[in-house]
Formats: sequence, structure tokens, C-alpha cells
Amino acid sequence: MEYSNEFLMKLYEELLRCRLFEKKLVDTYALGKIPGHIHSGLGGEACYVGTLATRQQGDYFKNSHRCIAVANLLGVSLETAFSEIMAKRTGNAGGRGGVNHVSQLKYNMLGFSATLACDIGLAGGAAMRLQYDGIDNMAYTFYGDGTANRGPVHEAMNLAAVWKLPVLFVCDNNQFGISTHVSQGSSVPNPGADRAGAYGMPSEVADGTDVLAVYEAAKRLTDHIRAGKGPAVLECKNYRWRGHFEGDQTPYRDKAVTEEWMKKDSVAKMEKLLLDKKIIDQAAIDNMYQQIDDEMERAIAFAEASPAITPEEIYDNLYV
Amino acid sequence: MLVTFAQAVGDAMREEMRRDDRILIFGEDIAEFGNIFGITRGMLEEFGSKRVRNTPISEMAFIGAAMGAAETGLRPCVELMYSDFSLVAFAEIYHCIAKWRYMHGPEYKLPLVIRSAMGSSFGATGEHSNCLESLYMHSPGLLVASPSTAYDAKGLLKEAIRNDNPVMFFEHKQLYKTKGEVPEEEYTIPFGVADIKREGSDVTIIAIGLMVGRALEAAEALAKEGISVEVLDPRTLVPFDKEAVRKSLSKTHRAMVVEESNKTSGVGAELAAMMQEEMYDELDGPVVRVAALDVPLPYNIELEKYAIPDAEQIAAAIRKMF
Ligand SMILES: Cc1ncc(C[n+]2csc(CCOP(=O)(O)OP(=O)(O)O)c2C)c(N)n1
Ligand SMILES: [Mg+2]
Repeated sequence: MEYSNEFLMKLYEELLRCRLFEKKLVDTYALGKIPGHIHSGLGGEACYVGTLATRQQGDYFKNSHRCIAVANLLGVSLETAFSEIMAKRTGNAGGRGGVNHVSQLKYNMLGFSATLACDIGLAGGAAMRLQYDGIDNMAYTFYGDGTANRGPVHEAMNLAAVWKLPVLFVCDNNQFGISTHVSQGSSVPNPGADRAGAYGMPSEVADGTDVLAVYEAAKRLTDHIRAGKGPAVLECKNYRWRGHFEGDQTPYRDKAVTEEWMKKDSVAKMEKLLLDKKIIDQAAIDNMYQQIDDEMERAIAFAEASPAITPEEIYDNLYV
Repeated sequence: MLVTFAQAVGDAMREEMRRDDRILIFGEDIAEFGNIFGITRGMLEEFGSKRVRNTPISEMAFIGAAMGAAETGLRPCVELMYSDFSLVAFAEIYHCIAKWRYMHGPEYKLPLVIRSAMGSSFGATGEHSNCLESLYMHSPGLLVASPSTAYDAKGLLKEAIRNDNPVMFFEHKQLYKTKGEVPEEEYTIPFGVADIKREGSDVTIIAIGLMVGRALEAAEALAKEGISVEVLDPRTLVPFDKEAVRKSLSKTHRAMVVEESNKTSGVGAELAAMMQEEMYDELDGPVVRVAALDVPLPYNIELEKYAIPDAEQIAAAIRKMF
């Protein structure tokens, strides 16, 4: 595919923002400033950024727990995101939801369930609404390779297929569900894509460490979906760089294999491409790192300075 | 006009769907077939396949879809054929639907209703006879309604459909054929307002669903013996009308809870504890629970009857309170 320089730069910037966000999450957690558990998305950013490069105004999104940075990509300010993560009043749920629930409906984000897969069907519901109103948009729903084995995923796929709903199921196959290797949980090599055929859906497997490869596969599938031909499955193969949560020393896997995979770095690949094509120079790249980091530091300072909700507010938002 | 409970439920949906084109219904066998009790008969013809849809047997998926549709601007009123099968989508209801707005922020409203046929119905056995209100009372974020008359069913369902909170709406199978007076003109019944189905001065029975009728029968029998029974139907369990209970107890000073579900951790357990904590001064004796036996409901009809409270058992338990 031919790409404009603007497109490549936009993709790179989004990728870098996700990378630095996920890294900042790890660093901030290490400083003891985050009360819950975080699940670092380092290594998997291209799956989300490449897929979402096909998004259009009016689409709906169901994120996963693995790349919280997506919320920022879709519109949630860093201040709001870090406030929720740090349990402050200025977060989207006032700190009642936390790191897994950084979400704002005004950006068409459907929310996330920490009961894995129980939220997969939401995208179908949002797609129903689009169909109901005759709107030509679509819904994206992200889930992991481990989650791919839960029943609600299969029910949601069948429902979307039988109702021809405009949904893209995106399986972030980072090869582990906590410690369980994908081969221990699925009888097929591709727990996302290989299941699509059972529901009459097209699918693709993309190199999840290459944002352009993901984008191209996502583009083909979303073209199919946007043409009104029903749902599809995209699987992105990558590798979870860190433990499932911080503190997980990953005794269940081979460090040498991890190091090999970490060389397949989606951000480094894009930087090389942009430098080779002379679209950007190293100084400009360094400058972007600095700017994004500054933005995040300011957002974290804002969140730290923000008050928490009080016990009197504990029931707020429970009922309309 | 005199209508059946089933007709009242159907009419509530039809009237609301005529009023608001954001409302749609879906569930198993509700379209051409008109649901297994005939409640949605004619709705496909009237509203079309866009608003009246059969789903596959995929409770997790269609409850999830109801949620996604509700978030994004529709008002789904979905049917889970039997309340027993709500457990198949329990995590979706208990974790997601109930907690969504709390966990994600105030803009995440879920105006959706989950209707279910519930309760015993002559040999339906252990997996088609359950009364699960207490499970859903236990998940903050849900509203729970369990009407006992055609009038209440219609008014409460219309309110449920208009409400911006998610509602679990239970319809007792044995009540579907019962008839009641329903006005021609439009009305709704607010949630959290109990109804005194019979006034009395010696003892208050709090009864729900099918048990309201049995409590009234018991009250009739006891009246002949000089015991005056007040029958209070909360109609909605969440929110629960505590003030109505307090007012009744300030007159009778004795309380009984009658429910069709089995006793352990049931609705009665919660209400008895609540009264003893909050209304102890009004009570002249312990709150009495009359409930089903702690067994899966047996298939044998005689044993099924034996397991569930009837008017005689209720009356006998009341006599012991004096
Ligand atoms: C229904 C359910 N079962 C188990 C868990 C515990 N759990 C949290 S994350 C996780 C692993 C998920 O693996 P995967 O779907 O591959 O996503 P990843 O974490 O790799 O992104 C598990 C088992 C859960 N949250 N929900
Ligand atoms: Mg995984």
C-alpha cells in the first residue's frame, strides 16, 4: 500500500503515545501512586493503533484491559485518564471504577468489564443501534487470546453474524493469559481468526508488531464490514513484554524468547521507516518523546493535586 | 376493563412502543410465535422486525447486546424466557449491567428492562420454577419489580420502560391468567411505593408475587376468627418502601414475610433483618418468615405443593403469633 507522509506520521504519533502511556503507567505504579493492578500493554500497541487507524467519526469502541492508552487515543484527556487511574474525583467515574474503566461515552467508548468477555456483546448492541438508525458506522471490540475461549465471545460472534451486525472482533493475541500459553488454552493455532469460519465470518491474522501490517488487514476487514457484509475477526500476533501484572516475574516462560520478541518492536520499526524515508529526523523524534512525556507528567501532577471523592459521595452515580 | 395479567404486560409494551420509537423488544421466540405465553402476539405485525426480534439461544450475547444498545440510545425491553435462565447471563447482569454507570461515570445510563416469567407452575421442576428476586436485590445498581396483579404489572412495566435505570421485571407464570381491573386511561406506577392490598390492625403480612393472593386468602379466613390482617405488597423490592412498612407496623406491631422462594437467604431474610434493625421499637415479637422449603422444587405436584406456602400454612403461622 502507498501511504501519505501525514498518515505515517499520524500512525507513528499514536503508536508512540500508546507506548509512552503504557510505560508511564508502569513507572507510576512503581512509585506506589496507583492503588489497583495495572496490566501493561507494552509490546501490543500496534494491534490497537493499527486497527483503530481505520476508525471513523461515529464508530463505537469496546477496549480491553491491556492497552489503557487507547482511551486517550479516542479522546479521553490525559488528566481524566490519570485521575481515574489514581482514584481521584477528576476521573471519569470519580475514582469509583479505576484503571480498567477509563472510558467516556462522549467518545463512543462502551466501557470495559473486568469479568473478561462479559462485555464482548456490547459492540453488537451498539451495532444494533447503528443498524436501527440506518447509520453507516461500525463497532470495534478488543479481547485477548485467553478471553477468546470464553462462551460470551462465541455467542456474540454468532449473534453478530446472524444479524449481520457491523462489528470487528479484534483478538490481541499476546500469547499468554496470565501464565497460560495460548497453546494450552486453544486447540487451534489462532484463537481469534480460526474461530471465525464457524460463524461464516472472514478473518485475518496480522503481524501484531507491525502497525502497517495490522492497518492493512484491518482496512480489508473494515471495508467488508462497512459495505454491509457483516462482522469479521482480526487477530494480531504479538508478545506481552511484561508480566501479566506488575510484580509477575514470568517464571513460566523463557527469557530468551521474550528478548527475541522484544526486538520486534513496533515503535522502532516505524521510526526506522520514517527515518529511512526522511519524513522525520532523530531530533524531531526526540522532541516528540519529550513533549509527550511532559504532557503526561503534567497530567499526573494534575491528578495528584486533585481531591478524592468523600465517603458522602460513595453512592453517587449508582442510580440515575 | 377486566384483563389478564398477561394481557396487561403485553399492553404495557404495546402502549410504550407506540409512544416511543426508541423502544424495541427481543428475546427467544417472541416474534412470530408471540412468546410462549402469547404475551407478545401481534407485536411483530404491528411494529415490524426491526423492533421485534427473535434471538438465538444466546442469553449472554443478547443481554450484552441490550446493554450496548441501551448505552448508545435505544431503550430495549428484552425477554429472558424464564427467570431461571437469567443465571446463564448472571455475570452480565450482576457485574456489568448493575455496575456499569457506577464504574464508568454518570453518562453511562442503561435504560433497559429484562422481563422474565418466574415461579412455580405445576411440575416445572427445579430449573423452571425459581424465584430469584433476592439474588438481584443483592446487586446495587439494579431495580427489581415483582407485581401481583394485572393493574400493578401494567403500571410498573410502563414505569420500568420509562426509567433510565436497568430493571429486572419478574412476572409470575401462575398469575398470567388471573384477571384484574385496569383503567382505560393511561397510568404508570412509581417504583418504591407499596400497596396495601387489605387493611388490618393485628398483624402485617408482607407478601410478593403469587404469595399476595395466598396471604389475602389467609387474611379472609383469619378475619372470621377475629384476627385482623393487613397485607402489604411492596410491588418493587428495589427500591423498597420502608415507610409503608413502618406505618403498617405502627398499627399492627407484628410482622410476617411470605415468599415463594426457599427460605435461606431469601427476600424474607433481608426484610426480617431490616425490620429488626430499623423498626425494632414497633415490634411486639420476632418477625416470622413463611417461605418455601430449602429443596429444589420437586416434580411431583403433591410435593411441589407441600414445598410452597399456601393460605392454610400462612394462617397457621399467624395463629401462632398470638
Ligand atoms: C471471567 C474471568 N476469568 C478470569 C479472570 C482473571 N484474569 C484476568 S486477566 C486474565 C488473562 C487474560 O488473558 P487474555 O485474554 O489473553 O488477555 P491479556 O491479559 O493477555 O491481554 C485472567 C485469567 C477474569 N478477569 N475474568
Ligand atoms: Mg493474552
